[in-house]
Amino acid sequence: MTQRYDVVVIGGGHNGLIAAAYLARAGRRVLVLERRHVLGGAAVTEEVVPGFRFSVFSYVVSLLRPEIIRELELPKHGLEILPLDGTITPLDDDYLWRVNDHGRTIRELRRWSKADAEAYEEYGKLMAEMARFVKPILSMVPPDPGRVRPREWKPVVDLLRSFRDLPQRLQHTFVQLMTMSATDFLRQWFTVDPLIATMSASGIIGTYQGIQSPGTAYVLLHHYMGEIDGAFRAWGVPRGGTGGISEACGRAARSFGAEIRTEAPVARIDVRDGRAIGVTLESGEEIRADVVMSSVDANQTFLRLIEPGHLDGSFVRELKRYKYRGSSGKVNLALDGLPELACKPGKGEWLRGAISFSPSVDYMERAYDDAKYGRFSRRPYIDCIIPTLVDPTMAPPGKHVMSCFVQYAPYHLADGKEWDDEMREAFGETVIDTLEERFPKIRDLIVGKQVLSPLDIERITGLTEGNIFQGELSLEQLFFNRPVPGWARYRTPIHGLWMCGSAVHPGGGIMGANGRIAALELLKEQRRGRKGVA
Amino acid sequence: MATYDAIVVGGGHNGLVAAAYLAKAGQRVLVVERRERVGGILDTVELAPGFRAPGIVHTVGRLRRSVIEDLALARHGLSLVAPPVRAFAPDPDGGGVVLWADAARTASGLRERSSHDAGAYPDFDRKVRALASFLAHVNAVTPPDLKSPTFADALAGLKLGRAFRALGARAVRELSRVLPMAVADFVGEALEDDLLRAAIAARAVLYTAQGPWSAGSTTTLLTDSAGNDGGAPGQTVFHRGGPGALAAVLERAAKSFGVEIRTGAEVVAVTTRDGRATGVALADGTELTAERVISAVDPKRTLTQLVDPVDVGPHLRWRAANLRQPGRASKVNLALSGLPTFPGAEPEHLRGRIVIGPGIDHLERAFDASKYGRISEAPFLEVTIPTLSDPSLAPEGQHVLSAIVQWTPRHLRESDWAREREGLADLVVKTLEGYAPGLAELVVARQVITPEDLEVEYGLSGGHVLHVEPGLDSWFAWRPLIGHARYRFGIPGLWLAGSGAHPGGGVTGGPGANCAREILAAKG
Repeated sequence: MTQRYDVVVIGGGHNGLIAAAYLARAGRRVLVLERRHVLGGAAVTEEVVPGFRFSVFSYVVSLLRPEIIRELELPKHGLEILPLDGTITPLDDDYLWRVNDHGRTIRELRRWSKADAEAYEEYGKLMAEMARFVKPILSMVPPDPGRVRPREWKPVVDLLRSFRDLPQRLQHTFVQLMTMSATDFLRQWFTVDPLIATMSASGIIGTYQGIQSPGTAYVLLHHYMGEIDGAFRAWGVPRGGTGGISEACGRAARSFGAEIRTEAPVARIDVRDGRAIGVTLESGEEIRADVVMSSVDANQTFLRLIEPGHLDGSFVRELKRYKYRGSSGKVNLALDGLPELACKPGKGEWLRGAISFSPSVDYMERAYDDAKYGRFSRRPYIDCIIPTLVDPTMAPPGKHVMSCFVQYAPYHLADGKEWDDEMREAFGETVIDTLEERFPKIRDLIVGKQVLSPLDIERITGLTEGNIFQGELSLEQLFFNRPVPGWARYRTPIHGLWMCGSAVHPGGGIMGANGRIAALELLKEQRRGRKGVA
Repeated sequence: MATYDAIVVGGGHNGLVAAAYLAKAGQRVLVVERRERVGGILDTVELAPGFRAPGIVHTVGRLRRSVIEDLALARHGLSLVAPPVRAFAPDPDGGGVVLWADAARTASGLRERSSHDAGAYPDFDRKVRALASFLAHVNAVTPPDLKSPTFADALAGLKLGRAFRALGARAVRELSRVLPMAVADFVGEALEDDLLRAAIAARAVLYTAQGPWSAGSTTTLLTDSAGNDGGAPGQTVFHRGGPGALAAVLERAAKSFGVEIRTGAEVVAVTTRDGRATGVALADGTELTAERVISAVDPKRTLTQLVDPVDVGPHLRWRAANLRQPGRASKVNLALSGLPTFPGAEPEHLRGRIVIGPGIDHLERAFDASKYGRISEAPFLEVTIPTLSDPSLAPEGQHVLSAIVQWTPRHLRESDWAREREGLADLVVKTLEGYAPGLAELVVARQVITPEDLEVEYGLSGGHVLHVEPGLDSWFAWRPLIGHARYRFGIPGLWLAGSGAHPGGGVTGGPGANCAREILAAKG
């Protein structure tokens, strides 16, 4: 017997769950299908080493939209975000430490440069103003640049109006943020090299770009937006790891009546007469629905789940040139004890935030240069956190978990090399060697490890080429070009098939806006009495 | 009463074009040039007795057609040569890619390297032309006033909108996608041969501090082809007598309309009264008055060195000081006793631009070195042998070879230009020897123009030939700065007509012509 739903959501990552929750909340009969045994996609917590629970992929949360937390009552469903304490950049004989306490950060920066400390205040205010201005973009449905439809364009026209009314200095900054490299942008205020390198680092997370590559200032802003919503305590680690977010979203969806099935891999999106009618699982089970909402990436959705022939050639060509280019890996360590930094020994609060391996602009650039020519960085940028310091439940008493986001590890390797076991091992060793330069003897503390190459990320999560954002956040793949020009409005050329993952505006990160906007847009469309494509 | 209606600071091509347009409209105009001759980057230099070479730029095919017509340049001796070959990218193993003016001819030549590319090239060429044609419209207009758009802005916007729509929905979407893209991706999507990709992408990075993998370099490529016959291969048009001869044509045209020109006169300040530009002060102490001052020098120098900081104000001055001017290009000229031989290439192939940069990664690696303040040991060179089109530039039977060396940073981290000067010439000769064995023995004289020379001799801040780096952060309504892109610059009575203004650097005359049009419209 085939079952019938209003909406079937493919993929139980945070965006899929959030879309499902909003749709169920509006009274739709919703089913979420997750391929794995665990919900969350790239936001999962798993016990990889016995007794140690890792946030396997995504490891911090800063972007989750406050309106989602509010509207879905996520705290009621178990979401608790534990704040992280700033960022320390270890150097050879020194360190640069920025704390959540603004005054202390300024004092620390003054130790490096008085001018930079002053500029830091000015910069912080400016970025807060900027984030306020761009916030509406995050909940906007991008128009199609190829069509003039006043209704579609209205939000953009409104945005242009508010841009016009901005003071010139903010207009200037906005244009710079949308076009410049993170480093060039920051150099207007700062001179301290490790500060520029560390601040620039948020401009390259998940991209295949260097900190001096134009376009990375945008990613800087993208990541900055979470930090200004400090009132919501949205910058930190979820209790229980990032899986905690997914579980809260799942519980919220269920509370509204959504059904969620794990270990239910979708084999095919069924299309009849150009319209999606449901999905067929790998088990052969057929599920029928009025709307299929895909939270997996565009490559998976169109090129793997839809049989060739349902899409026209030019759309497929455009899909194929969409860039994934996963560039990061992950190393999770189970530690017997707390490691200490050579440059700042002790077990102090500096270990309770991010530990950023970004000692200089050149270091970051060299890391990128390696990746550009198809090898993992010999000395990578590592963003390291020890979540057990804020959430001891993640490991047995006295023991620790260390989560290392590593960039660059390009999916495509040069010289015919592949991400085989040997390559993964070499990558893991490079990361540990790099850690050891700042955390002497950390090697002796390692009791278990998990090394994930971009290929592993692809295999486990299904993210094409291991791109954690379901497609690179490069300027030409944002807003109305995401994922395909003309198809950025959550709809697709197949009637009744919608997209709600990081593949669509506003892109990646644990933001949830994508799932929310897609769901609301679908509901709006259905209210207008039409179904499928506008 | 002011002596002049307008004083133009800097006699480069844009300064001369602006002056000529204003004088043509009846204004009294003075051009003040620091060097002994006008032209700026349009320069011909004698590198050895009887051998003349381009000082900086090689080709002049981007010069706006309306400028040629409006200023009647043909009457003043404009003499252009456009060889049928646009570019030749030699393969280190012999032969190479030849880009002809005729796309079909290029395609048939590509067949032996890649049948895919032979099929794809004509479409790619058409696409570049279509997208560039829209940019030509963009380049022609004055960027809108973002604060309080005027009726004229609305009209210009409508015109642009029409041009945009005329492209068709597909091309419009395509344009919005490709402009912020890295040129390596743009060529990589269409073509597979790495040598061919690099031969085309090279134009997007010449004179810049970006590599082929830098986002936005596609805009630079398309801008290079906008408003001229460039297409995918780019323009290759020489002026007889070298680029300096074009400067002389512009000078004659300007004078014919009554422009007065003073050379050897350095402007040290724009004088002001009540915050308004009133004229200029020269290094010798002379003060000259004018209704308005038009700066054709770069915007950073204009606002941070020529105008009183009090008049500019701290915020604008801060922004101007942060304009990016990372000069990365140098020049090596060689006098040759004979024509070098590139194995597998006909002499005819050498008449255009010779692109030494075999592959996208080769270009990118050469760029990488500059990020660390070094010069790559395998640089990218744009080479021309202008004597093949204009034998008068060298004694009979002999030749001049002119090489732009890309990604040579103005500021070297571990050395300085006084020390590197000869090394750069050696590097160029050695690099070329790899493609044209025996070339080294033909060299009878050489000349090096370093980024430092560009700054000191030619007055280009940071040694940047394009005045301001042509990144997406300095484009259209925000070139050089948002709120100051409409040629009115910084303070009342001061205008900007140089490459730092929209539509940017290169020998187009566009900034000069647009600026003059705005001035005349403002006079109403």
